[in-house]
Amino acid sequence: MNDFGIAFQLLGIGMTTVFIILSLVVVIGNLIIRVVNRLVLEEKGTVKGRETSESLIDKKKLSAIMAAVNIATNGKATVVDITKAN
Amino acid sequence: MEILKKLIEMTAFQELWDDPGALLMLAIAAVLLYLGIKKKYEPLLLIPIAFGMVLANLPGGGMGVVPATNIELGEHHYMNLFEIAHEYGIMNYLYYALIKTGFLPPIIFMGVGALTDFGPMLRNLRLSFFGAAAQIGIFVVLFSAIAVGFTPKEAASLGIIGGADGPTAIYTTIILAPHLLGPIAIAAYSYMALVPVIIPLVTKLLCSEKELKINMREQDKKYPPKFKIKDLNTVKIIFPIVLGVVIAFFVPSSVPLLGMLLFGNLIKEVGVTVARLSDAATGPILNASTIFLGLTVGATMTSELFLDMKTIMIIVGGFIAFAISIAGGIFSVKGYNLIAKKKINPLIGATGLSAVPMASRVANEIALKYDSGNHVLQYCMASNISGVIGSAVAAGVLISFLG
Repeated sequence: MNDFGIAFQLLGIGMTTVFIILSLVVVIGNLIIRVVNRLVLEEKGTVKGRETSESLIDKKKLSAIMAAVNIATNGKATVVDITKAN
Repeated sequence: MEILKKLIEMTAFQELWDDPGALLMLAIAAVLLYLGIKKKYEPLLLIPIAFGMVLANLPGGGMGVVPATNIELGEHHYMNLFEIAHEYGIMNYLYYALIKTGFLPPIIFMGVGALTDFGPMLRNLRLSFFGAAAQIGIFVVLFSAIAVGFTPKEAASLGIIGGADGPTAIYTTIILAPHLLGPIAIAAYSYMALVPVIIPLVTKLLCSEKELKINMREQDKKYPPKFKIKDLNTVKIIFPIVLGVVIAFFVPSSVPLLGMLLFGNLIKEVGVTVARLSDAATGPILNASTIFLGLTVGATMTSELFLDMKTIMIIVGGFIAFAISIAGGIFSVKGYNLIAKKKINPLIGATGLSAVPMASRVANEIALKYDSGNHVLQYCMASNISGVIGSAVAAGVLISFLG
């Protein structure tokens, strides 16, 4: 095959491959989001059950604490648990 | 008289007389230093590259990188690193250890990954397609470069400038056409620095005012996404792992670049547990790699290799590749807008290059100029980040076929 033939082949194969890979990015991304969303829903269901019996911290206070932690640690830390000292 | 002759031979003046091209190279290095220091065009890379160029062209300094044929002993047998250092000096040692082995570009990609946030892309996944369309410049210029006399390997190295990704361009050139490394690196980084000039120019030529006023947030309100991300942090941790494995099966030759990019991103997203690793990847490792990459690439630009017609063609071809890639992204958005209800601002196509985040910032400024309430940064980042993946995949294809 001459050099132009190789160039044509690379144009076709190269662009197709890039499109396929970025389509995979879209498919994989969507798939992960859906799976994680479903898991989060299940987790929230169990947490809600506990909330009714224990009366947790006020939602506004919770989001303020989480935002403060996020800013102070540059997003590297997450709030896992909040307990009252006294 | 004999003493005088020996004195002249001892100094660098005789060598300068023998190779006056070195003076021109020093002048070019001075221009690049000016652009890096005063104009702040990609200073982190242009300054080390320009200074490497100065070192390589100081007569008698012995800091210029020698061609691979000089260190070849026989069929596929080369001098070891100690012999290279002894024979050709420290710069050649660094070049053959860090660049010729293809070591530094993936290490830099790891740092880039640790600095990249896939969040905007995950929130606007469909915009990733425009990162694919913007790779068209790579392949079109490959074709044209062959037409003007480049070999396919050289043409591929020239075309990859259109991906607007410095480490990818360098990595591809190391493998396919190492003798063109200097001019290609200079062209790649110069055009990346000129993104604030090139994107507005191409956009102005190809887009109407009405198109540039398309407000992405209003479009999102009119046609809201089907589902929202409920736990972005978890998604961002799983995404690089799964994506890395899948891409490895399809384009294994892109793994050195993409694998390291995704690893860097993973350690960033895991957060506090491995904060030391991400700090190292984005700090000391990335900075040291950038210094060595810049200096050694600059040191390949000796007068006998750089002052060539091919260098001028690379500079011109690189610009064309860059412009075609931007145009490719814009036209793909225009095509999409013809059939879709939910319209997209063509600036999002223009940022399908991988010059992250400068391309997105420039596009955002253009959008704000036409409509002060039209913030497109997050949307542009989606195609911009997918452009990084796209150009690494394109490089992988070129290396697989031509390497």
